[in-house]
Amino acid sequence: MNIVVCVKQVPEVSDADLEINRKGSDIDREDLEFEINEWDNYAVEEAVRLKEAHGGHVTVITLGDEDCEDVLRQSLAMGADEAILIDEDGFEMSDAAGIAKGLHGVVKDLSFDILLTGVQSSDNSWGQVGLILAELLGLPYASLVVGIEMGDGKATVFRELESDTQEKVELPLPAAMTVQTGINTPRYVSILGIKKVRKIKIKETDADELNLSEDEIGAEGSCVTSRKLVIPSIGGAAEMLTGSLDDICNKAAQIIQDKGGLV
Amino acid sequence: MIPFRVSYWHIQPVWIFYLLAIATLTVLGLGIAIHVSVWRKGIKRQSVSFSLKDIFKVIKEGILGTRIFKGDVAAGTMHGLIIWGFLILFVGTLALSADYWMFPFLHGSFYLLYSFCLELAGLMLITGLIWALIRRYVQRVPRLERRFEDLLVPVWLLAVAISGYLAEGSRLGAQSPEWAGWSFVGYGLSHLWSGQKEAMSAYPWFWWLHALLSMGFIAYIPFSKLFHILAAPVSIYLENQPLQIIPVESREEEVFSYREAIFFDACTRCGRCVEVCPSAGAGEPFTPRDFIAWAKQGLLTDYHLLNSVDRFKNWMEQRGTENGQFDASKIWHCTTCRACLEVCPVYVATPDAIRSARSKVVEQGTEMPDLLARSLKNVYKYHNPWEATKKKRAKWASDLDIPNLTKEADGNRLCYFVGCTTSMELRAQALAQSFVKILNHAEVPFGTLGKKEPCCGDIARRAGEDGLFEMKMEDCSDLFQSCGIQDVVTSSPHCFHTFRNEYPPYMTLREPDEQVSFRVRHYTEVLAELLGKGSLKFENSLGLKVTYHDPCYLGRYNRIFDAPREVIRAIPGVKLLEMTHHRENSLCCGGGGDRMWQEEMDGDPKMSEIRMQEAAATGADVVITACPLCLIMLEDALKTSGLENKLRIMDLNELVAMALELK
Ligand code: SF4
Ligand code: SF4
Repeated sequence: MNIVVCVKQVPEVSDADLEINRKGSDIDREDLEFEINEWDNYAVEEAVRLKEAHGGHVTVITLGDEDCEDVLRQSLAMGADEAILIDEDGFEMSDAAGIAKGLHGVVKDLSFDILLTGVQSSDNSWGQVGLILAELLGLPYASLVVGIEMGDGKATVFRELESDTQEKVELPLPAAMTVQTGINTPRYVSILGIKKVRKIKIKETDADELNLSEDEIGAEGSCVTSRKLVIPSIGGAAEMLTGSLDDICNKAAQIIQDKGGLV
Repeated sequence: MIPFRVSYWHIQPVWIFYLLAIATLTVLGLGIAIHVSVWRKGIKRQSVSFSLKDIFKVIKEGILGTRIFKGDVAAGTMHGLIIWGFLILFVGTLALSADYWMFPFLHGSFYLLYSFCLELAGLMLITGLIWALIRRYVQRVPRLERRFEDLLVPVWLLAVAISGYLAEGSRLGAQSPEWAGWSFVGYGLSHLWSGQKEAMSAYPWFWWLHALLSMGFIAYIPFSKLFHILAAPVSIYLENQPLQIIPVESREEEVFSYREAIFFDACTRCGRCVEVCPSAGAGEPFTPRDFIAWAKQGLLTDYHLLNSVDRFKNWMEQRGTENGQFDASKIWHCTTCRACLEVCPVYVATPDAIRSARSKVVEQGTEMPDLLARSLKNVYKYHNPWEATKKKRAKWASDLDIPNLTKEADGNRLCYFVGCTTSMELRAQALAQSFVKILNHAEVPFGTLGKKEPCCGDIARRAGEDGLFEMKMEDCSDLFQSCGIQDVVTSSPHCFHTFRNEYPPYMTLREPDEQVSFRVRHYTEVLAELLGKGSLKFENSLGLKVTYHDPCYLGRYNRIFDAPREVIRAIPGVKLLEMTHHRENSLCCGGGGDRMWQEEMDGDPKMSEIRMQEAAATGADVVITACPLCLIMLEDALKTSGLENKLRIMDLNELVAMALELK
């Protein structure tokens, strides 16, 4: 069984003090660290587990620049067999459709049974790339997948719905799915693991090779244009407490008491 | 008539005896071969060099058994009686063969002395064995297990000794030589038979019984815990041999080094390690002894000589599962505190073996504890386990004006390596702030690496993630080299240990121009030195009773027990009270070995709470420690065990800064 997984590199922002760049087009990426998009990490793990259980071949694809090699190497270390990098600056400012078109350029020529992406990416959070890609490929599609069982020529898939309910659907193969976090526990990738896959050659391609013209990708090829990124201003109800730890605690306790939270 | 010894007197046919002896030796040889072949399957790169000192150590600790006396005189004496009784009888038997086959020398008064000594040895052996049985089954010493083999071994040996006496007694009864009195036990027993004829007819039976039991016992050695007779001397010898460093990339599949495989075979399941292990003590489902048994069984299952025979292999695997409740998920309990190694009579290096076992889980990746996996990823991405960006690293010092050695390289300045936890964790930051004030007060020229300070790699090392450790080591060494850093002082005993003991062997593997060497001290040493130089003058009396908690990586690992105590004692009005467990017997706070960065797997009460109870029992007002992890763990325990009003926790720096009235 062959599986293709599309992954993305994202900035790790959970503990960073984010700043917007001067043009307002993006966050300031200077001091940030980068990692594989969390949802995609689950997708790679799921692909590797399916391969371990049923045999086959896992290919990971990403779209970006040389720096994105890291996420591909990590996926290889997890157990993927092959990695493809679409090394192209032209995708900057693309919306979900633009990205999906780029990925489509590669995926359409691959033979596979399952195409996986994460449900969404942590930076742009469109949650659309997988869907558009499935549409471009004309594949049946399931979103928010939290369980995959393989059958003969078909897959039984569990989708996460509201408040702990799940929907069980059956898809004929080949099919596309977007993977939800929690579907598995992604394995730890050791440094030795990454060093061991150093010799695997990553295939590189770009828009030219994929016959994508300039007006198909980037801002030109997008339906949605991002105007400006803003950090919401601090609202009136919010108050920043300052001072030493003890001061802050005392003030916080006082506020809670004043508002009737502590009796 | 000159006294002499008869051999094979009235024993027919002797050739059966020889046949059996050959069979015994064959089984013994095969048993040894099985162990050695398993050892050889371990990671091989360990050069062993000749050391006269260690040979003496083997004689002293292994054969004289001095280490067994440590902390348990009863066990030492019991074991001494058995080993000495056994050895004298063994050598006596060899002498008998020599007398028979090579040159007769057992005659005259020498023979009488010989008989007398052997007689005594037999008594020693029997006393020791009965004592051993009493300790295990009557006294029920808590650390002793009661498995089948634990009963079989002493009872068997007892049967060997008693049958020996009976054979001798009946022989003396039949021969009645005039010197029989020298063999006083046998002589006493010879009266069991009413006459020479009765003794004569009983004698061959006892002789054969004794022979069969003895040979059976010898053949059984390699298949039981008795194998420690052979493995323990080797493991004692290996203790001081430097560990060979193997960079991750040139490692093979094997999990344990052959040195560790030998350690496992030397283990007698004596349980001393269980008694001192803080994890076992807190009721967690882990003991070093179970770990060793599990690891040893695993090696046997994987590499047994007879493994090509399927039925045998299945049987071994079956035995492995019966062997216990231990499984790989439990290896994360160990805090690598080294308390077990301190008391193990045969130096089983459990913390090292735990690291090896962890390495395997790390490389496999699927069974890693979640939080630890995340912390390791953080070390890789953020250069600290706390998921804090670079900017945050230097925040603790934003009010202090500290020279940054990465900006103005100055090899003459002391480099204060703050460490991840001390930089990032709120409680631990106080340690650094106080230390900086003290250095300023004493006018020591120093600086830090500011926000460029990397992680030393300790966390990765303890987790068995050696690839990451090597990476961090390179980061640190390269930075030290480019900034011309020569003299380092650390907040944490963990960074200190890593720099001092774990970097140097790796350095020899690097290119000559990349080899970095620097002096490293823990801050307690620097404080003691400043005190000695007269740079710290305490003027006010504090009027405090304190107790000192020895951090494992400062005390047991690096034998720094006195420096912090000297500093404490130098402060006027401070009275130092010792806890029951102190210095090398200190009890771990529970934060080492990466426990700090894992899911809670504590017992009830926790290790740290047990430690705080012990501290409270001294009647001290303040617990002083010298490690950021201990500081955090113990501070937490103070709250959870309701001792907040009775006790306070302070880092030694905080105490000194308070005594110097530094603001
Ligand atoms: S490891 Fe050492 S202390 Fe522990 S049971 Fe074995 S021999 Fe005894
Ligand atoms: S190092 Fe400490 S925690 Fe680990 S097994 Fe030994 S005594 Fe127990």
